[in-house]
Amino acid sequence: MNASVLLGGMALGAPALAALLLVLVPWVRHRGVPAAAVTIAGSLVATAAAAKLVLDRGLGAPDVRVTTPWLRAQGQTLAEVGLQLDGISVVMLLVVTVVALCVQVFSLEYMREETPRSYGRYFAYHALFLFSMNLLVLAPNLLQLFAGWELVGVTSYLLIGFYFAKPSAARAAVKAFWMTKLADMGFLFGLLLLFASTGSFEWTVAASPTVATAVTALLFVAVVGKSAQFPLHVWLPDAMEGPTPVSALLHAATMVAAGVYMLVRADPLFVRAPATRELMLWVGTATAAFAALLALVQTDIKKVLAYSTCSQLGLMVAAIGAGSAFAGFFHLGTHAFFKALLFLAAGSVIHAVHSNELGAMGGLGRRMPLTSAVFLVGALSLAGVPGFAGFASKDLVLSSVEGKAGWVPWVLLMASAFLTALYMGRVLIKAFLGPPSPAAAHAHEPGLSMTGPLVLLAVPAVFAGFLGTWLAHSVGADYHLHLGLTPVVASAAALLGLAAAGLVFGAGRSAPWAAVLESLDRRGLVDRAWEALYRQVLLRVSGWARWVDRYLVDGVINALGWSTLEAGSAVRPLQTGRTRDYVFAVMVGALVLAWLGGWR
Amino acid sequence: MTFRLGFGLVALVMVVAAYMVVRSRNLVRAVLWLALTLLGTAALYALLDAPFLAGVQVLTYVGGVVTLMIFGVMVTGRHEGAVAEIDSADRIRGLLVALGFFGLVSGAILKTDFSAVIAPRPPSTAELARSLLDDYLLAFEVTSLLLLAAVVGAVVLARRRDPGPVGEGSPR
Amino acid sequence: MRLTDVLLLATLVFSIGLYGVLTRRHAVALLLSIELMANAANVVFVAFATLRGGPGEALVLFALVVTVSEVAVGLALVMLLYRRHGDTVLDLARETKH
Repeated sequence: MNASVLLGGMALGAPALAALLLVLVPWVRHRGVPAAAVTIAGSLVATAAAAKLVLDRGLGAPDVRVTTPWLRAQGQTLAEVGLQLDGISVVMLLVVTVVALCVQVFSLEYMREETPRSYGRYFAYHALFLFSMNLLVLAPNLLQLFAGWELVGVTSYLLIGFYFAKPSAARAAVKAFWMTKLADMGFLFGLLLLFASTGSFEWTVAASPTVATAVTALLFVAVVGKSAQFPLHVWLPDAMEGPTPVSALLHAATMVAAGVYMLVRADPLFVRAPATRELMLWVGTATAAFAALLALVQTDIKKVLAYSTCSQLGLMVAAIGAGSAFAGFFHLGTHAFFKALLFLAAGSVIHAVHSNELGAMGGLGRRMPLTSAVFLVGALSLAGVPGFAGFASKDLVLSSVEGKAGWVPWVLLMASAFLTALYMGRVLIKAFLGPPSPAAAHAHEPGLSMTGPLVLLAVPAVFAGFLGTWLAHSVGADYHLHLGLTPVVASAAALLGLAAAGLVFGAGRSAPWAAVLESLDRRGLVDRAWEALYRQVLLRVSGWARWVDRYLVDGVINALGWSTLEAGSAVRPLQTGRTRDYVFAVMVGALVLAWLGGWR
Repeated sequence: MTFRLGFGLVALVMVVAAYMVVRSRNLVRAVLWLALTLLGTAALYALLDAPFLAGVQVLTYVGGVVTLMIFGVMVTGRHEGAVAEIDSADRIRGLLVALGFFGLVSGAILKTDFSAVIAPRPPSTAELARSLLDDYLLAFEVTSLLLLAAVVGAVVLARRRDPGPVGEGSPR
Repeated sequence: MRLTDVLLLATLVFSIGLYGVLTRRHAVALLLSIELMANAANVVFVAFATLRGGPGEALVLFALVVTVSEVAVGLALVMLLYRRHGDTVLDLARETKH
């Protein structure tokens, strides 16, 4: 068997085995730490396999695709499952496994205060998640991707609602699941339509422009849900109820990125659907700007990062909509690293001050130097300061929207870049600079198991940007650094944003117009809109369906029963009990028979 | 010729009597009309050269059956025709069926050509007796069993239960 | 020809008896009508036997015995009917009806 296939199998199989073991053997799970060991072992294997695959690719290994039939009907194969190891999937695999490993190691200490049973449950979910995500990443066709997609949705639900005894967490989990499930209907119908029109789930399936437009529009609906684009973004801030490592892994780096990944994969299909691409461009841009504004006024550090994720995903979606799937993919990769880094660093801070609120922090730069340093690295990368990874990928994204749609998206995205720098600057100032709050006064750095991953992730957060050329070559895209309008403006926006943050939020001032901005937190509005939709529309439609079921469907059955009884009652009088009548009947029958019998 | 005359007379008597059987309100009279029909049948048998049968007919039917019927009517006490009227629906039905039957069968009879078979001599009484005890012996024995069963059955069905020591009386 | 006449006569009497069976309500009257029908059947047998040959006459003897047995049992049933319902209208024997 091909070595690549074996490695791919290991990347998929190791977490699967870990998950299986933890599910089937409860006592390992209940002991707590052994479960963590199992999961991390699985992740290590998967990461090593991914690394080797990337290495081989660097040395010139070719694309590999193996499939085996899965669904059969009437002698034909309807669907296949398998592994696809090409430039895109192998790189994504490495990103996912590295981030997952870092998060899991970080969790060892972070989740230490949980009971052994909870601890074990946590790591079991992590193993399941990694398997599901890898299934998605290595999928050779849309159907397997969908399978992985749904599975990560389930694990997201389980992990958001990890503290299930807490009502807000339970509600957040249901909300996330419900909204993404609604969006997934788009995926389902898109798949059905695709198969019905073309008979295939392949990436490169040949579809007519009409079909392609319809299918891609449906698939995009699912992306709007999964990647928290407007208007289905409302579940992501609530998802912060889950443990911070979970937020880092699922809701920043990997799961929400699956939507973007799918767009990158299915790009050949989207090429034929310019209308959908236009839609994506606008939705992505709108989300990027809108979410950035909201991030500016949050007081919970995790919520800042959550809106930031929405915004960055919007950037990716816009780039792909503008036609450059590579730009989206590149930013996806760098974002995974620096966002996960930011979340874990935030986790370290939260762990130290026992609160999520920015108000409870302050002056941590002095008390937690390592955490502050890596957070700074992540923030600069996110803001797009030249020299960091985020700059390279963001620059590519912005370049791809140059000139599109009358430069409007370009302007809006530049504005969001400015805002990004602004809100990150705000966080840096409020949390790490200035006088410490009472809680922060006793903060201290965590142990190696938490700081190690932080440092590890900081490296690609800086240097991943330089791999752009190699990456482009690997996936067969066009990329070259250039000096032009976009990079200059972008760099300016980033630096100006940071400076502005210093001016506005520095020295403990909060400008009057910050209050104005706070009033922009209209998340409640969108939420209320969804709730109204649910109550007025969905429940009403359900009511109609119930009426149909009760009176039409059941009605038919009841009518059948009723008519049978009525017929019985109608026929019963024949049984008179009178001999006369029976003789009559016999005679009539005999006469009829005699007649028919051939009285000629 | 004489046959035709005799037959005609007998036929008339039989039909009229039969009609009166089914139409008499008074049951005793109905029984008596039946007796007349049966006598007419006996006469018919005589005309058809079956004298033995004629005699048997008179003995069993007229003597036995009619007597039984009279007893039946008397014992049940309802012989003055106070029985409720039949409703017209029944009458129409009955008429239709009876007419239908008659039409069907008589039509079949008239259409059949009976001249094919040559008429042999009717059996004499001696021959009849021999055939009973020779060819139809099994039927003979079985029939006598049947008669026995019928008699016993009728007795069992119709007897009054004896009152017990404490005097329960009326039939269970 | 004679055969045809006799057969027609028998059919007529049988039909009259049939009418009686279908219309009379008194139990004994019903038995009388049945007698008519049985009698007519016997006439058919005798007619064929004497005018065409065959076992008709012997058959009639057996038929006679059967008929007589049936009358005996029938009358016993009429007795029972009368004792149970106080009347001999056959409609009263409705036990076969639910």
